[in-house]
Amino acid sequence: MIHRSETLLSGLIRIDLLRRIVRLVKPIRSAELRRACSAESRREASHFVDCLQVRILFFFFLFTVEIFTQPGNSNLFSAGNRLKFGNYLFSQNDYLRAAEEYRAYLKVESDDTARFKLAESLLRIDRFTEAADHFKGVFFSRGLGDYARLEFYKALFLGGGYVRFRQTVNQENYMPDKFSTEVKRLGMISYFFDNSVLPDSSEMFHYFDDSVKIRIRKFYLMKKFPAYKNPLKAAILSAVIPGAGKIYTGEIGDGITAFAATGLLAFLAVDNFKAGHNFRGWLFGGLAAFFYAGNIYGSAASAQIYNAGIKFDFNREVKLYFEKRNYFLPSIDFLK
Amino acid sequence: MLNFDYKIFFIFFLILFSKLLSQNQLKLQLDYANNLYNSGQYFDAITEYKRLQFFDSSKIFIYQSDYQIGLCYKAGGHFDNAVKYFSLAEMNSKTYQQKFDSKIQIIRTNILRRTTDRALQLLDSLDNSSYFETKKDTINYWRGWTYIFADDWKTAALFFDKIDAQHPLKKLCIKVENSKYSVTFAKVISYILPGAGQIYTGHLLSGFLSLGWNLLAGYWTINSFAANRIFDGFTAGTLVWLRFYRGNVQNAENFARERNIDISNKALHYLQTQYEGIKP
Repeated sequence: MIHRSETLLSGLIRIDLLRRIVRLVKPIRSAELRRACSAESRREASHFVDCLQVRILFFFFLFTVEIFTQPGNSNLFSAGNRLKFGNYLFSQNDYLRAAEEYRAYLKVESDDTARFKLAESLLRIDRFTEAADHFKGVFFSRGLGDYARLEFYKALFLGGGYVRFRQTVNQENYMPDKFSTEVKRLGMISYFFDNSVLPDSSEMFHYFDDSVKIRIRKFYLMKKFPAYKNPLKAAILSAVIPGAGKIYTGEIGDGITAFAATGLLAFLAVDNFKAGHNFRGWLFGGLAAFFYAGNIYGSAASAQIYNAGIKFDFNREVKLYFEKRNYFLPSIDFLK
Repeated sequence: MLNFDYKIFFIFFLILFSKLLSQNQLKLQLDYANNLYNSGQYFDAITEYKRLQFFDSSKIFIYQSDYQIGLCYKAGGHFDNAVKYFSLAEMNSKTYQQKFDSKIQIIRTNILRRTTDRALQLLDSLDNSSYFETKKDTINYWRGWTYIFADDWKTAALFFDKIDAQHPLKKLCIKVENSKYSVTFAKVISYILPGAGQIYTGHLLSGFLSLGWNLLAGYWTINSFAANRIFDGFTAGTLVWLRFYRGNVQNAENFARERNIDISNKALHYLQTQYEGIKP
């Protein structure tokens, strides 16, 4: 957009230049006409026509040159051009390159908007610590201060140090006046992402709109009372009835198979002992004991795997939910 | 009057000079980006090509920059982005040669990312186009490479043969094809004599062990049935003998496939490191 408007401006400047040249030439043509008429000389008239043709040719050539040559970008690496190019890259979501252009620009110019965009670019390529540092540099900007503070907290949050993030929120040293509710809400959201003790439910729900409270309550309950399976209980169940622990953890097929295999091996062991085949009796007996013990261990492990799955699913669901809603943070218009 | 003419000509030359200078700046920028590309600094090269595109409002260098960005992404292994920029280059091409070049690059990238069907589809479109009648050899060359990457060395040899009966890649493809093991043969001989498939693929120890296990399990099963211990015979036959017999066939198949993959990989390694012709 910026690039197009600049091209338009450049075009207008060129049109203005052409107008000036035409204005310069106009009096020449009228003076020559007068002279040609007064002299009434064929030679002079002929000369005048020749001159006119040359000038027409010249203006035609100038016009062609104007059309087919580039607008003046005498130094592509000047500070101004770097800023323009950086803005273009930012709009193309090429944040890594945009950050480099803003950085180069800021070496020669002091510009809060460019610094903000540099920080935002770093934030969007997950360089959270650098982003937070650059946002700090815009804290006292008149127009961007509150946005910079908001994005600073966002950078801390996304950086993953949730305990430190909540401490910073509670200290309120950098709290933006305009977005204090949003930042505190972000503080509440952070409890869903680590293993800290959840705050009281009334305190948690206070910062959320009624429209999302049901979902937040669901997350709160899932986090506070996760549907975990007890590994010890699974092991004891399998010790009493082989495979029962697996069925308890939801692995019904495995449970039935474990029961059938242990039962069959035990039967073979007993049958062989009765028939006097002691070697085979011990062989099948050993296998039955191995299966029995393995099944107890497997049931406890299965409960742990089940619990890890519950935790993983919860984390993924929470992350997707809040990410999709930009953590209930407002979007910044001038970055669009 | 003469003074006015001088003024006008002075302005004219000033404008012309400034315009040519600015165009020269873009040319210099293109050269700078090309230098970065040639020295293997692909990330920086892409930045500079993008800068060139941004300031080249008349889009004089749009084809070159898109094409080169595609090459940078291809060299960096970002094949999706490479295809995107080669497609843009194709759209901005001004001559049939440029169109052909960018399309061939798209095909080469598809060969590298092993999207064989897409590569063949694009080659078909070039083949059917009347504009590229004189480019048949190039088309067949890349068709051959497509089949090499699809592990179909026999078909690849056919296309290299169309270019030249003595083409070095044709010879290589035939050599690779001939040195490959037959998976079906390995399986069949394993059905007839357990362990034979493994021995055929060069895994002698595995082959003889497999033969031994099968003989032992077979003896145990037959002995149980002969001693009228039907349950034991049935258990040993299904759980032990059948397991070793099936395992022997599966092993023979896997070994043959693994050997073939090794042979293909060695050939591809040779092409990557020692072959001096144009590569995808």
